[in-house]
Amino acid sequence: MSQDKKIRILIAKPGLDGHERGARVVAYGLRDEGFEVIYTGLRQSPEKIVSAAIQEDVDVVGLSILSGAHLSLIRKVMDGLKSHDANDIVVLVGGIIPEGDLPALKALGVAEIFTAGTKIKDIASFIRSRLHGG
Amino acid sequence: MGAELARTPGIEVKSRGMYMDEEKKKIKKAARKWEKEVLLPRVKRFNLKETPTRFYTPLEVADPNFLEKVGFPGQYPFTAGNNPFDFWRAYAVDAAKMGYRPDWGGAGQVGKYGGFGTPADYRDYLKRMHSMGRRGGPNIAFDLVTQCGYDSDSTYAEGEVGRVGVAVDSFRDFQIIYEAYTGDLDIDKVPSNYTINAPAAVIIAMYATLAKKRSIPLNKLRGTPQNDILKEFIARGTHIYPPRPSMRLFRDTCVFCTRYMPALNINSIGGYHIREAGATRIQDLAFSLANGIAYIQAGLEGGLSIDEFAPKFTFNAFGGSMEIYNEIALQRAARRMWARLLKERFGAKDERSMMIRQPITAHIGCSSTTLQRPLNNLARAVVGGIAAGMSGGIPGAFPPFDEPLGLGHSLEAVQLQFDATRIMIYEAKVTDVNDPWAGSYFMESLTDATEEEALKEMDKIEKMGGAVAAIENGYMPKAVARSAYERQKKIENQEEFVVGVNCYTGTNEIEVSINRVLEDTYDPELMRTAEERQKGNLEQLKRERDSKAVLASLKSLNAQAKVEETNLMPAICECVESDATLQEICDVLREVFGEAQPVKL
Repeated sequence: MSQDKKIRILIAKPGLDGHERGARVVAYGLRDEGFEVIYTGLRQSPEKIVSAAIQEDVDVVGLSILSGAHLSLIRKVMDGLKSHDANDIVVLVGGIIPEGDLPALKALGVAEIFTAGTKIKDIASFIRSRLHGG
Repeated sequence: MGAELARTPGIEVKSRGMYMDEEKKKIKKAARKWEKEVLLPRVKRFNLKETPTRFYTPLEVADPNFLEKVGFPGQYPFTAGNNPFDFWRAYAVDAAKMGYRPDWGGAGQVGKYGGFGTPADYRDYLKRMHSMGRRGGPNIAFDLVTQCGYDSDSTYAEGEVGRVGVAVDSFRDFQIIYEAYTGDLDIDKVPSNYTINAPAAVIIAMYATLAKKRSIPLNKLRGTPQNDILKEFIARGTHIYPPRPSMRLFRDTCVFCTRYMPALNINSIGGYHIREAGATRIQDLAFSLANGIAYIQAGLEGGLSIDEFAPKFTFNAFGGSMEIYNEIALQRAARRMWARLLKERFGAKDERSMMIRQPITAHIGCSSTTLQRPLNNLARAVVGGIAAGMSGGIPGAFPPFDEPLGLGHSLEAVQLQFDATRIMIYEAKVTDVNDPWAGSYFMESLTDATEEEALKEMDKIEKMGGAVAAIENGYMPKAVARSAYERQKKIENQEEFVVGVNCYTGTNEIEVSINRVLEDTYDPELMRTAEERQKGNLEQLKRERDSKAVLASLKSLNAQAKVEETNLMPAICECVESDATLQEICDVLREVFGEAQPVKL
């Protein structure tokens, strides 16, 4: 890891959902895993998240949603990234996501969905293998 | 002190005066002998660094002053409970004989928490519930759009309208919901509860305006608005304005309620949300009480005297965990700390000012439940129920075991929850004794330690300038985030064990599966179409209302908001009555107050 350029990750809370525990824990955890992590804080519009991802030149965007509004919010983020030719950014999703919605999120281009009980190490190794091939 | 204690019948006095010193010396000597001859050899035999268990003696209780530190149930400092017995305990036998179900409450009581869709959707649902005999007062969940001070046509609203609660954009919407509450369920007969914080002033104004329209005197209105904005900055996240102007709005509601709606509770202070967001037990206790102090100060700054308004403060709940002893100690310590604070620091004379009034006491907290082998959550909830029953509360087996499986609880899970509570009350007789841990060397020392640690944390906050300052400088939100992460690390490193999650997950274990039939609480078709329909309702309102009157009321609010001393409630009532929307009102205040900025890590 250390000789590579540090992987940059944006952890974002789209929409009005105020549940912040997971997003904060993942942000701290990935930071300790050696990534460069930027956390947006609450209540970010999809547009703001897309422009932050591009401005900060991140490799990964992690979206945390527990309000049930994930489908429409994530679709907007994915569309936004696409329209800025930034769809090489790996998008991860965390929160409370009903199993029935997983295929729809994957179809939108979400790389992986991590729900409750996930180990931070597992998220970290997913990111590494995705960006460095292991 | 010793002489006083000796005169009190029925109290077992462990130690007093000269006798105490003699006795303590003896115990100390015996303790050393026990450690050397019994404990240490055993520790050595098992090759341990230290003993995995502890034993408590009178030596651990620094100051065993019963009357000052424990006292009687229903008397200062309320360590042993707010009452000798609660109202539900008085009727427990009747309830069992008549088969009373606590899920909806009877007329005159708080109804079930809920809300969805458009106001008309929710009204129709409530009417249906009333026809089934579920006749408690409105206990309204608002959607996130309303909670964050937006209207259903805002760009922020997309995908959120009517989802986690009912959408309320205007007084018209509020009135539609209350069409389900007339006659013997009118607002002078049933209480109204509102889970609303940042726009609490607007919702309280709607309640007052509704009473005016129905010619019901304001002093007849009962209920509880959550109105606890500070914990939103620390944990729950539905804030709008920065902390200081938010506290001005609290002051204004506090003064308005005290003067005109004296039967209404002023707030419902929550440590629950803070703990669920990751706070430790001590942070939960210290931050909640620090927030409470800030609210008291706001009331005093508004010109009220302490006993005028403090009795109308309530607490939602502190957080919970699986650590049963610690949770009982927290409840005992919290009651004593609040009582002392109110009496000694704020000079309260009325004992009702000194009590932590909360609907439940200890519990495990939803974050103690696991997605893995979910029936285990019933065992967990029973532990919380025992802690509650032993700390002055109803032994609620909260939450239902299927809590982590997604929104809604199955009928089976709710049945088992009720039955577990009943088994604790009627079969185990958990609630037949007040504060059964009083006088325990262990529990008294744990209560003292909890109090001491929380006071230390509160001192730290006090030195920063109080809760508001400790939010502005990011201390409280960051401390909670940090604690959440520390706990996560402990679980990942197996320093703490969660059964079925990070231990006992091998191939010998059976993945106990359950059939969970979840009925839709609310009509999915209505949920799906709520946003479009509510946007239509809003458009119609904007077309039909007297826009001149709206503009005039908003302009007046703007002018008054700029004067810090002015109580904004009358102006907000005018806006509400003129059919200004919730967002229009909040936007005026956003313009004057600014908006809260997200906390970075």
